[in-house]
Amino acid sequence: MVDDISGLFPFLVLNPFDLIDLPARDWANDLVNWSVAIFRDAFRAYVSPPVRAVMEAFQWVLSTIPPLLFLVLIFVAGWLAASWKVGLFALITFLLLGFMGIWDQLIVTLSLVATAVVFSILLGLPLGIVCSRSDRFAAIMRPILDIMQTTPPFVYLVPAVMLFGIGNVPGLIATIIFSMPPIIRLTNLGIRQVGAQYIEAARAFGSTPGQILWKVQFPLALPTIMAGLNQTIMLSLSMVVIAAIIGAGGLGLEVYAGLERLNIGQAFVGGLGIVLLAMVLDRITQGLGEKAPGARKTRSD
Amino acid sequence: MIRVEGITKVFGPDPQSVLPLLEQGKSKSEIQAETGHVVGVHNASFTLKTNQIFAIMGLSGSGKSTMIRCVNRLIEPTAGKIYLDDPDQGARDVTGMNAEQLRNMRRRDMSMVFQHFALFPHRTVLSNVIYGLEIQGKDRGESERTGQTTLEMVGLGEWSASYPEELSGGMQQRVGLARALATEARILLMDEPFSALDPLIRVQMQQELKKLQSDLGRTILFITHDLDEAMHIGDQIAIMEGGEIVQIGTPEEILVNPRTEYVARFVEQADPTGVITAHTIAMHLPGPRFHTVREDSGVTYHARKGYEDIEYGIDRSDKLHEVLINGNKVAVEPLAKILEQHASSPFIRPRDDLVLTCQRDAVLRELLRGRVCSALPMIVTNADGGVEGIIDEAELISGILEKRGEVGAEA
Ligand SMILES: Nc1ncnc2c1ncn2[C@@H]1O[C@H](COP(=O)(O)OP(=O)(O)O)[C@@H](O)[C@H]1O
Ligand SMILES: [Mg+2]
Repeated sequence: MVDDISGLFPFLVLNPFDLIDLPARDWANDLVNWSVAIFRDAFRAYVSPPVRAVMEAFQWVLSTIPPLLFLVLIFVAGWLAASWKVGLFALITFLLLGFMGIWDQLIVTLSLVATAVVFSILLGLPLGIVCSRSDRFAAIMRPILDIMQTTPPFVYLVPAVMLFGIGNVPGLIATIIFSMPPIIRLTNLGIRQVGAQYIEAARAFGSTPGQILWKVQFPLALPTIMAGLNQTIMLSLSMVVIAAIIGAGGLGLEVYAGLERLNIGQAFVGGLGIVLLAMVLDRITQGLGEKAPGARKTRSD
Repeated sequence: MIRVEGITKVFGPDPQSVLPLLEQGKSKSEIQAETGHVVGVHNASFTLKTNQIFAIMGLSGSGKSTMIRCVNRLIEPTAGKIYLDDPDQGARDVTGMNAEQLRNMRRRDMSMVFQHFALFPHRTVLSNVIYGLEIQGKDRGESERTGQTTLEMVGLGEWSASYPEELSGGMQQRVGLARALATEARILLMDEPFSALDPLIRVQMQQELKKLQSDLGRTILFITHDLDEAMHIGDQIAIMEGGEIVQIGTPEEILVNPRTEYVARFVEQADPTGVITAHTIAMHLPGPRFHTVREDSGVTYHARKGYEDIEYGIDRSDKLHEVLINGNKVAVEPLAKILEQHASSPFIRPRDDLVLTCQRDAVLRELLRGRVCSALPMIVTNADGGVEGIIDEAELISGILEKRGEVGAEA
């Protein structure tokens, strides 16, 4: 008897894992099946259509603009947002991609990114503002944002497919969720970082809380919010590419298809397109942040 | 205009629990050690009269910023009352206002200028100045015209489209001042507005503020840690120490008669020449130091004991009739006139055939300048021209060194 236990003991210490078997896989399956059963119809009825509508609108507008006009516009956009150098860089980049024959894919990816970013802002900005005004809400949001950001991008794709099927829309949904955290975080951070003296001055002149938010806090937080927007755009670009696996089109599909057919050249061109597009979008949004009036400082700071 | 009655502010988790301790007379540091609460202001009372500049002076940490922020409730007082007296609306209890009333009061009745300017960096100079009007929903074009006029008043008319970061400290504070003036609130709260500026700019701004105040007729609560500034600017001064007001008075009252050691230490460093008045240091005539020499057809001749060569003839209505030196009549001129004449050429030899008369409220600086023109004693008169006394070299010197005269010593 004593021998029995003492024989068992080292075994227990060394490897306790066989004692208990947590059926986590089953739970996860159950959870996903359950939520798919409950939410699928509602999601497909109410979430998909607006996302699809915005995406199709972007796609229609961007593909209707003649490429030459588009090139002019992208130059002007880069110039106004950052500098003429950025404008020129954007122009050359887009020209190059067009010559490589991936203009249409570029337009698709651009509309996917634009759609994802519009929804990320629409949802993320208010959430960030609420976070900045309520410590409790911020405390609740923090772990959720951590999970959203640390979950590997591929993992989003599975429930997205189960809930929304395949195609651009599930890819977009996964992208929106994946790319939203930075804008929430940095909106919250930016507003909280606004100097107490400005808020005090605004109060001293009789501002309402709403006036303090929109006339002082928000504009002064704008450079930080823009940094969040920049990250959101970069994340959504990377996710939109991954989403090609579940049927999203554009440059990601080019890479994915190229790899699948072992056509390295096709994959390379797609990849180059993604990298260059990322650089253009990065420069433009960075320029926007630096040019925001809230980026100015007073000398006494 | 503003009555502050027994305002106390305690910082910490449970301020009310500390009030009984304060009533027992425990000191700020005892309370901090025992309860961890910080007493910012304790039992402060004062009255700010219409069109007056009321200066609060004290070392850093003495509770000045806390005090001024209690007045517009940027800081919520723990105990005490603040009333806003208004000829049109009667007395309003600021401490009892709800959020909406408070906002309206901050918009219409009180505006504020900050030590570190606190201009909004993302707004142009003009749009900073009209901030107060903008949040009241005033018409944009009209606000901009008002803002431009106000900017011109502080000498920055050409800077309206610039951003604060492009301006020097002194200019930024002018914008801060314009922002506070633009709302036409009659009360101006200024928390060390000039402390962050260079000394030369500071003096210039002080003068401009005094001029603006007399032109526009604002009521100003002015915080400073510099007694000279307080004396230059303030009609009344309150001195704060460790959260309490230890003395309130006119600059001269405080200079001549500091009530505590703390105030006395400040006063020692202060420049008396702009504060001490002729009335304070004058030797009374007639008085114990004089004797009557003779009387002659209604004029009484007095001479100072030991200085019998100078005789002051005073008529029945107390007015100066003539001054005789060794029996010879000398010229008598008002100080103001002589100062005006010699404003451009100050280096002249003091005359010994000219006696100056000055008003009782002429300040030491003017008397000293007058002394450069005349070596004879100066005659001090009241508003009706009646003789009050004389000032000789000794009185001037003691005015500088001791900062007190016979009146001060008596008071
Ligand atoms: N928010 C606060 N919390 C705790 N203590 C404060 C706070 N604000 C001011 N105090 C304390 O109140 C006292 C008075 O401060 P303050 O009014 O800023 O003085 P002053 O403006 O004269 O330099 C100081 O001891 C300071 O540390
Ligand atoms: Mg202070």
